[in-house]
Amino acid sequence: MGFPSGEVAIVGVYTTEQAQNHTRGGFDLEREALTGALADAGLTLADVDGIATTRPVSEVPGSYDPLYFWAEQLGRRPLRYLGSGLPAAALGKAATAVAAGLCDTFVLVHGKSGTKINPAKAGLPTSAPRVGAWSETIHGASRASWYAAWARRYMHEFGVTSEGLAQVAVDARHHATLNPASIMGRKGEITIDDVVNSRMIASPLHLLDCALDSDGGYAIVLTTTVRARDLRARPVQILGAGEGVYIDYYLNLPCPLFPPEGGAVRAAANTAFGLAGIGRHEIDVAGLYDCFTITLLRDLEEMGFCELGEAAAFVKDGNTRLGGAMPTNTDGGCLSNSHNGHPGGMHVIEVVRQLRGEVTPRRQVPNARLGVALSQGMSVMGGAGVLVMGVE
Amino acid sequence: MTWVKPLPIVTPESQPFFDGLREHRFRVPRCRSCGSHNWTPYPACRTCLSTDQEWVDVSGRGSLYTFSVVHVGPRAFTQDGPYIWAFAKLEEQPGPLIVMGNLIGLDHDAVEIDMPIKIGYHDVPDHDLTLYHFEPVTHDI
Repeated sequence: MGFPSGEVAIVGVYTTEQAQNHTRGGFDLEREALTGALADAGLTLADVDGIATTRPVSEVPGSYDPLYFWAEQLGRRPLRYLGSGLPAAALGKAATAVAAGLCDTFVLVHGKSGTKINPAKAGLPTSAPRVGAWSETIHGASRASWYAAWARRYMHEFGVTSEGLAQVAVDARHHATLNPASIMGRKGEITIDDVVNSRMIASPLHLLDCALDSDGGYAIVLTTTVRARDLRARPVQILGAGEGVYIDYYLNLPCPLFPPEGGAVRAAANTAFGLAGIGRHEIDVAGLYDCFTITLLRDLEEMGFCELGEAAAFVKDGNTRLGGAMPTNTDGGCLSNSHNGHPGGMHVIEVVRQLRGEVTPRRQVPNARLGVALSQGMSVMGGAGVLVMGVE
Repeated sequence: MTWVKPLPIVTPESQPFFDGLREHRFRVPRCRSCGSHNWTPYPACRTCLSTDQEWVDVSGRGSLYTFSVVHVGPRAFTQDGPYIWAFAKLEEQPGPLIVMGNLIGLDHDAVEIDMPIKIGYHDVPDHDLTLYHFEPVTHDI
């Protein structure tokens, strides 16, 4: 028994309009994404018998669970497989379920609108909110403050500068300018000076070191590779996958922050590449979670694309830019395309589009055959999913 | 001024910690079975899953592991200007004993990674509650 490498394929992908402030609700985006991804595959709603969602709670108050919600919403058919985990992890596990016959057509669906990650968007409270005894909010934590603290220790230990981080944002924006659907591409290229001179959010992270705080939806459809051959799109086979979860998010910080043995991302990447039987150097295109500039640097190290402390040099050398050895986040990523609340699936979708060879010529990685996507949370230590994909 | 920063819901499980803060003691759970400290508090020991944990005082001395000067954050915190959100490594058992808090009492330009700090205590106005923060170590003359 081994991982069913190549037996299951991504056959449909769809992204809704991504926007800073959507006028439509999260469910409406989920609905459009679900039907859009099925149409992309040449399948229908009646085919769906497995599902995963990024939602923590159901659309309907009183609903038991977001997955049970979908079982009812899709017409009370028996769903035969309910997925879990970060998007790339959910897809990897669903591939094993499809290969084993637990279900035939699995869809991962996401849609979010309205709620914002930036705590400054909320007004000044008139009285003290009551929170859990160990809550980060007692100390004024924000997502940016966590990543800023990680970035500061990283810069201290490895001698990386703000300019070293900034190159990640510059490359992401360059890629976004080639992606008409991206939120920031229309604003044009940025320079390292633009990043380090943008206003400070949480030192050492500037505004342009931070992801967007946007809205949007997407969906991804899996089925067997045998069935995929009769469908619309070029099948993108799942070759390997891995999941890693180490710590409960946003309660505590692992110390030391940069252990040589790595954390969740290292575990997930080792599993995924091992099961795929593929070396890191064979990857043509990557989609790696990039909620802040520091995040992509640590991804590259923990995924095994470069050594600990060397990611800024790896990026500066152009490896992750279009035209480089492993173009990464060619849609603009979370930094310049969209961070729609649960954007891990966006990185999968961009790799799928690259492997299908269907993006605009200037954005297309020539002859891309092997790709990898990483979804993660809580820096590289907390939780991770890795998906290795390929086309014949 | 009314306190508008979030305040903890104190439960029977966390009561000993907040009782300690009132006495200016920083207490952490230690496993009676294997001796490991467990910060942040969790239902059982992360090393051996024993629920036989006791609250023990630590010195409150440590070093600044990392920090950020937060300019854009929750309004309750930024209304008085940028603030320092930090992690301290306590001297008793540096690995798991990393503690989150606000560092006060220092010019922001004077804050450096690995500098010695200690835990300090402040009473919340109009609430029967004491919270903790980090502050610079003042040297005896």
